Amino acid sequence: MRTIAYRSARRLIAALPVLLGVLVFTFVLMRMLPGDPAVFFASGPSSGEAEIEAMRVKLGLDRSVPEQLLLYLGDVVTGDFGTSMTTGRPVLDDLSERLPASLELTILALILALGTALPLGILAALMPGSMVDHAVRIVCTAGVAMPTFVSGLLLIFVFYYLLGWSPDPTGRIDVFLIAPPEVTGFLLIDSLIAGDGEVFMAALGQLLLPAITMALFVLAPLARMTRASMLAALGGDFVRTARALGLPAWKVVNVYALRNAILPVLTTTGIMFSTMLGANVLVEKVFSWPGVGSYTLDALLASDYAPVQGFVLLMAGIFVIVNLLVDLAYGIADPRVAIE
Amino acid sequence: MLHTRPRGRIRAHLFAAAASAALTLIGIAGAAHAQSREETLRVVTGGQVNSLDAGMQGITRDGFGLNWNIYDRLVSWDRKKFGDGYIYDFDKMKGELAESFTISDDGLTVTFNLRKDATFHDGSPITAEDVKWSLDRAVSLKGPGAQMGTGSLKSPDQFKIVDDHTIQVTLDKPDRLAVPNLAVVFPVILNSDLAKEHATAEDPWATEWLKENQASGGAYKVSSFKAGQQVVLDRFDDWKSGPLPYFKRIIVQTVPEASTRASLIERGDADLSIDLQSSDVLALKGRDAVKVVSIPQINAFQMIAFNTRMAPFDDPRVRQAVAYALPFDDMFTAALYRRGAPLWGAKWENGLPDTGKFPQRLPFSTNLDKAKALLAEAGHPGGFKTSFSFNVGSAATSEPIAALLKESLAKIGIDVTVEKVPDAQMGTLISEKKLPFFTESAIAWLPSADYFFRVFFQGETRWNYGSFVDEELAELTAKARYERDPAAYETAARRMVAIAAEKAPVVMLWQPALDAVMAKDIDGFTYWFHRQTDYRSLTRTK
Repeated sequence: MRTIAYRSARRLIAALPVLLGVLVFTFVLMRMLPGDPAVFFASGPSSGEAEIEAMRVKLGLDRSVPEQLLLYLGDVVTGDFGTSMTTGRPVLDDLSERLPASLELTILALILALGTALPLGILAALMPGSMVDHAVRIVCTAGVAMPTFVSGLLLIFVFYYLLGWSPDPTGRIDVFLIAPPEVTGFLLIDSLIAGDGEVFMAALGQLLLPAITMALFVLAPLARMTRASMLAALGGDFVRTARALGLPAWKVVNVYALRNAILPVLTTTGIMFSTMLGANVLVEKVFSWPGVGSYTLDALLASDYAPVQGFVLLMAGIFVIVNLLVDLAYGIADPRVAIE
Repeated sequence: MLHTRPRGRIRAHLFAAAASAALTLIGIAGAAHAQSREETLRVVTGGQVNSLDAGMQGITRDGFGLNWNIYDRLVSWDRKKFGDGYIYDFDKMKGELAESFTISDDGLTVTFNLRKDATFHDGSPITAEDVKWSLDRAVSLKGPGAQMGTGSLKSPDQFKIVDDHTIQVTLDKPDRLAVPNLAVVFPVILNSDLAKEHATAEDPWATEWLKENQASGGAYKVSSFKAGQQVVLDRFDDWKSGPLPYFKRIIVQTVPEASTRASLIERGDADLSIDLQSSDVLALKGRDAVKVVSIPQINAFQMIAFNTRMAPFDDPRVRQAVAYALPFDDMFTAALYRRGAPLWGAKWENGLPDTGKFPQRLPFSTNLDKAKALLAEAGHPGGFKTSFSFNVGSAATSEPIAALLKESLAKIGIDVTVEKVPDAQMGTLISEKKLPFFTESAIAWLPSADYFFRVFFQGETRWNYGSFVDEELAELTAKARYERDPAAYETAARRMVAIAAEKAPVVMLWQPALDAVMAKDIDGFTYWFHRQTDYRSLTRTK
């Protein structure tokens, strides 16, 4: 156990140069984008040159880019990610307030996606070329071919507007309910801690449509990956041997084949998770979800540098951590693999 | 605990319950403790509030709207009926926190008599000292200061405390926009003791603290504020500056997707939205599910602007030629579904308008022969090549404008390349005067002719969209500002409007309508210069 902790720590430290690279790259890239934030933010009804100049000084844009970068690096080291001009608040506060919303959505979507994709993929692999296989292929193609905002709007139209089954698709909780005291930031967990069943159900109701929308989108890669690696595993010698020994079919499939087939699926899941967290901007927009994605998009459109830089850094950090977790999970699924 | 209509509540529960059968048991109980949401107004908006302090540089329009409801100003405007709603009456000012005000005969001293019983939310009385501090703040902060300056309010020395409930404003010259400037969103009256507690040496006006906190005595107080997501307002029951508002609670939610906002209102889950897509507004109106109050934005206009400092648009004849080649009517239909007031097609005699009001219709209309003749006269018989820009954020209206413009100008030989520019970049390009030809919309808080011409037709700011320089206009506006004789002002204003038509630095297209879509039982919507909702005047009829 101690070695795992030690190795994990070493991995995290080794990731620091990567994070630094990401940070510098984003910083320079943002400043190469067209659009002058000083003009954008000093756009009051009677703002002239003087106001724009004052804003430029306030944002530190009057200094040279290397100078700005050094100042920014110094701030980041002390945990100051700057202030968002769009919300007027420290970026770190904004991100930490919104990250749980994005995580909750992404995790539930991933659970839904895995819960559907694994059985579908296994089924398709057990009966390759059958009707079932084709049906799975069609479902996956439809899911991946439809942009998330289309499927999101479609789900809203059917389940909220036409049928009225779903609560109104705005935010994480019914506006007329009072949110539970914040402990983890995850509404589902916080409402359980507070023992408030009503809020739990309301939050779950709000989560369902956006989570399904995102799950639909990642269903295909997960199901296809499961199918492919299951097929490979099922064709392996050890499965043939297990079958020849007369082991029950469920045991052959679930224990011997699946355990071997799960490794590439794990990798895909890890990648999917990080991608979803950043790429669910459209879903967050459609469902007015107060997550980090929609926050950063607003900032980007407004040439608001600090939030975008903070977001990219956050995503890079999460990517590093998720990769580490995937590697740890590898070790559990297959003890021969250990992280180094 | 507040509650939605029980119907929606149960549905929401069923939905969640169906999904997780194990937890069904805790569910449906919710409908029981229902308090009517009759006195709660749920507003959905596409924008977001980013600060509680209107003085913050970069505050959003929704921020201004919120500020309007939580703070009082000394004075405000009356309103007049327009269709199903109201429109603010720029010619009729009334007291808000000031019970009354008087202007001296020479127009140089304005005396405000404050309400004696008014208090801030924390119960402390509102005194002349608070007013002085607040006005000092308004003229001292960068952005607000520039605005106040348009009414000759420039220095704290101009505000004098006479006694606890009287304050005097002195002016160098009798500026006609001095009092109106005290009614815009900046000179709000703050609880100075509270604000000063949070001021620092670098931040004497407590701007950092006031971004997220309020020191106010307005009709509503903020009970929860999540930047970019949601603001909840509660009525201040001791408010004295007007009749007590009807709604006890206002929930303002940011819902970025326009079609979702429309569905929320149609299904009765939300009560009001002012920024739906025109197509959705028409569809909702057609289904007769909601009430639509449509009011022309009397202080705004959409325009086609030329860079008058760049060839070939430095020649007024070229600008006029383009103006006569514009398919106004088709543009109006395609971009706005004709929801607004046209600003073309006036019939003037002797080249002068009947009134000095601005914006008003100018004498342009589609006339390709005249356009060709003007172009030939200017030395471009075969036309020329140019590019036309608009910002991506306004694509819904600008895209059809650009497409029709390109098609129509091709008929007189002008070859137009259409360029879509990201919003942040558009501002920079306009400020640096780098675009030859583009469309923009402009809004002036104070719809007074000399103000419009001062802000949008001269100077080096971004707002001089045509990069226009004209000596006569500069002289006229400089003088009109202090003109006390209404007839002389009117004459000057008519001449300003005539110059706008002759020199055509911009061609005005129309004033878009502000469509406020609301539940059928909501009444009292008022159009304000800031184009946001005044919750104080809204009621729910039974």
